[in-house]
Amino acid sequence: MLPLSLLNAAQNKPMLVELKNGETFNGHLVNCDNFMNITLREVYQTNAEGDRFWKLKECYIRGSTIKYLRVPDTLLDAVKDEQSRAREAGRSARGAHVSGAGARGRGAPTRGGRGAVRGGPVRGGRGRGRGA
Amino acid sequence: MDSLIPFTTSGSLVDCVDRKMLVVLRDGRKLQGVLRSYDQFANLVLEDTVERIYHQDVFAETWRGLFLIRGENVVLLGEIDLDQEDEIPLRQVDWSVLEPYHKQEVAAKKQRDELKAQVLYDRHGFCKEGGEGDGY
Repeated sequence: MLPLSLLNAAQNKPMLVELKNGETFNGHLVNCDNFMNITLREVYQTNAEGDRFWKLKECYIRGSTIKYLRVPDTLLDAVKDEQSRAREAGRSARGAHVSGAGARGRGAPTRGGRGAVRGGPVRGGRGRGRGA
Repeated sequence: MDSLIPFTTSGSLVDCVDRKMLVVLRDGRKLQGVLRSYDQFANLVLEDTVERIYHQDVFAETWRGLFLIRGENVVLLGEIDLDQEDEIPLRQVDWSVLEPYHKQEVAAKKQRDELKAQVLYDRHGFCKEGGEGDGY
């Protein structure tokens, strides 16, 4: 799923945001938009050196100032589960009207599943198993 | 001999998805993780990420987890060869041990780069890059 979709799915989850200037914001995501502008609540702000701290009830961070966001490791799984559950629900709701072949055809192809890491190249770039 | 076959779609990261990648950020951080997705800005989702720091012939790692990296902060993306990734000619130590040395190096480099940029700007009219307003 797209990076910004992942961010949207992370609403109400805790995360760490690091800005370009090195400041970090730890808080729960309230909302976000396509510019990556975000609002957080219950925020702990730290300066770049890591020696000053602030507690903010809410804050707004402009997307263009963000370096990266760190989210809970379980988020990717949680979102994938939600997506497949939503798909199942949609499919079963429409199942009475659509024929069996049609429903199957619309299934999204899996990319090797969660946790799979593709190793050897499919392109034969390194000649492994293909011979020079 | 096979030459490196370029991406079939120019500028596409699709061949990098679900592969272990090295990401270098503009602040000098080196992250390794599995690229799960990207978009038109090259924002990246990196899973099971590990940050590595180096100093002389020693390195250290720390677990960072799931990252959403804003594309403009990425310098480069490189595919990690899973066959060779464990052959590291460096000694591994604890993160807490190496971190102060690494921080020193980073600070020293920052000073040198600032000095260089200033000289180039003053004497040769080069523009100063990498500042706060540099991104889009």
